[in-house]
Amino acid sequence: MSWAQAILLARGASRGWGGICSTALTGAPFSQVPPQAPRGLRCSAAAHNPDSSLVPHPPEPPRRPVKALAVHEELFRPALDGARNKANFVRAVQNFTEYNVHKRGHVDFIYLALRKMREYGVERDLSVYNLLLDIFPKEVFRPRNIFHSIFLHYPRQQECGIAVLEQMENHGVMPNKETEFLLLQIFGRKSYPMLKLVRMKLWFTRFKNINPFPVPRDLPQDPVDLASLALRHMEPDLSARVTTYQMPLLKDSPNAMDPTETHIVGIQSPEQQSALACHDPARPIFVEGPFSLWLRDKCVYYHILRADLLPPEEREVEEIPEEWNLYYPMQLDLAYGRSSWDDYEFNIDEVEEGPVFAICVAGAHDQATLAKWIQGLQETNPALARIPVVFRLSGSSGELLPSSSELEEPPPPPPEGQEEEEDSQQRQQQGQS
Amino acid sequence: MALVRKLLNGTYILRKCPKPRVASFPFLGTRFADYCSSSFQKPVAAPGKASSQRKTKGNLEEHHQREVALEITSPEDKPEISFDKAIKEEMKDHFRRLKDDIVKYWIGPEGRPLHEVLMEQAKVVWQFRSKEDLDKWTVTSDKVIGGRSEVFLKMGKNNQSALLYGTLSSEAPQDGESGRSGYCAMVSKIPRGPFEMKRSYDWSQFNTLYLRVRGDGRPWMVNIREDTDIIQKKDQMYSYFMFTRGGPYWQEVKIPFSKFFFSNQGRIRDAQYQLLLDKISSIGFTLADKVDGPFFLEIDFIGVFTDPAHTEEFAYENSPELNPRLFK
Repeated sequence: MSWAQAILLARGASRGWGGICSTALTGAPFSQVPPQAPRGLRCSAAAHNPDSSLVPHPPEPPRRPVKALAVHEELFRPALDGARNKANFVRAVQNFTEYNVHKRGHVDFIYLALRKMREYGVERDLSVYNLLLDIFPKEVFRPRNIFHSIFLHYPRQQECGIAVLEQMENHGVMPNKETEFLLLQIFGRKSYPMLKLVRMKLWFTRFKNINPFPVPRDLPQDPVDLASLALRHMEPDLSARVTTYQMPLLKDSPNAMDPTETHIVGIQSPEQQSALACHDPARPIFVEGPFSLWLRDKCVYYHILRADLLPPEEREVEEIPEEWNLYYPMQLDLAYGRSSWDDYEFNIDEVEEGPVFAICVAGAHDQATLAKWIQGLQETNPALARIPVVFRLSGSSGELLPSSSELEEPPPPPPEGQEEEEDSQQRQQQGQS
Repeated sequence: MALVRKLLNGTYILRKCPKPRVASFPFLGTRFADYCSSSFQKPVAAPGKASSQRKTKGNLEEHHQREVALEITSPEDKPEISFDKAIKEEMKDHFRRLKDDIVKYWIGPEGRPLHEVLMEQAKVVWQFRSKEDLDKWTVTSDKVIGGRSEVFLKMGKNNQSALLYGTLSSEAPQDGESGRSGYCAMVSKIPRGPFEMKRSYDWSQFNTLYLRVRGDGRPWMVNIREDTDIIQKKDQMYSYFMFTRGGPYWQEVKIPFSKFFFSNQGRIRDAQYQLLLDKISSIGFTLADKVDGPFFLEIDFIGVFTDPAHTEEFAYENSPELNPRLFK
């Protein structure tokens, strides 16, 4: 802002500034010095008494290190009720437009508002973005002749418009017709913000539905619901059943000092049940975990119940008897001479791992909680009672453990130590094999 | 437009790419543009992973020393460090590779008979069964520009897969220039022939990329870079998204090459063209979904194959609004 504008502000709008400052500065500490020249002028004009040189000053309160405030940051001070929500944000923006008819410093204000959106929780709200775009004066920045359109007309404002659209894009907010109309009014059809809007509309619509495993935008807050959503997300078998083995204790109960009751939710499909029923009781099965699963921005930790792979000599090939289907043969051993043009298989042995029998999400990652899960599983899988279960729990590093040596529960080591352990184990394996 | 881009590049460095179902463009700043070309790379050395640059004298000596250690020789038998010897070994190695190359050329492309190569429908390009396979990859994170993300690459369970893991942190570096941060990338090294000549992959008879991965639900971005000898192509790449499901089951990801969109200097361009498969130099996986926290991705192998059901040539038509020049 030029000094002339500053003086105009100080003189002309001083009553308005005083109004804002008095309402917004109720909670502000006294020692914060307004950094701007016009407000300095105003403050000095108000507080400069000729008596101040004669009367001794009271001792000044100790100054805390002052962070330099941005230009209009006092508008975003928390209001009387202190809540940072959409209403207060909208109120702050409207305060700017009311008390500043000529909208001086609107570019800086919009940048500041964009930074503050995350605190107020409105970064995904399209109406708030439209409100911010509404701050721009209309029809002023539109190019009117060819010279305007050759040179970037009002570059700071165009950059600011692009910054608003860019934050929308970062948070995945799709612009609508109101945004388009606002940009048209403000910048005109051939401007860069308009071009960016066209690009956003094009690429957003192209990439909107490319996720084959979509996760809803509003994740449930309840841990049990989140756990069942996570389990359904992981398990491809649609006939799997989600069972809640334990509900979490309410936190406001008086004896919440020993929170042993966390939620335990598990999932198992009928195929896994039958596989567990045919599992050989001589071989142990392992509870492994915790592994991390990310749903948008929430991380859920899950444990799996799995068995090791059978060595090749013990694997049985299931033979389907010929009478199983009388209409057509289930196995054909025709030796057609097919060459490599029909071979769509990759020339590599895929990683084979043991079968997974069940997955669960629990609030705590210790053996006691998982033991409760196993007990709950025993109700639907009676065969589990005879099979030894070994707990292979690691620290919550999210790495999958090697399927090698240790059979007792290792104490949760720090991640670096764990890597070295695994490296040395692998080297031992390689040395032995 | 160039002026605006210069203005914008000053402030808008390192935005990135979406959470699932949200479209966004890869915005990588000019500083990050070189992450794929091996000459300017600062790879993050992973614990337990062999060093990335093989062709330095020191590493050659390390190789010798490692081999010596495995043979369990007596401690007095020190390996001799001789500069001339190392240079001679390296020259001999290169000439040997040149001879192999010429001999292989007579047999067929890449040493396999022509009829086998022509009729091949599925090919494994990168597999992770030993530590040498990890040497073909480089991992980068935003530590290069001063961020806090960490990424490591190591062999997974039973040496059967590769595990890329680490922590993503989107805290922006306080260098006055970057507004956002938080990315991790794993890039393959450009295939080299004898005397370090740059080679490229020829996948022109395949039409789909196949990955067998096990992730944690985070969305990754797959970037393919073409032959980068021409300086103007230095920052161009073709990208698409890979969504991992998470969970204990292996996931097969099939991305047809027609779905890759073109981007230059980290920005998706208005003029799109299909990915031409005859000179592919490297592939990379990037994670930058703006969510702080640990991540991991286990990769079994990466291959290319021909999907006979996929007949699309290019998924994105050029739009007359964005590119009126193309429609005149």
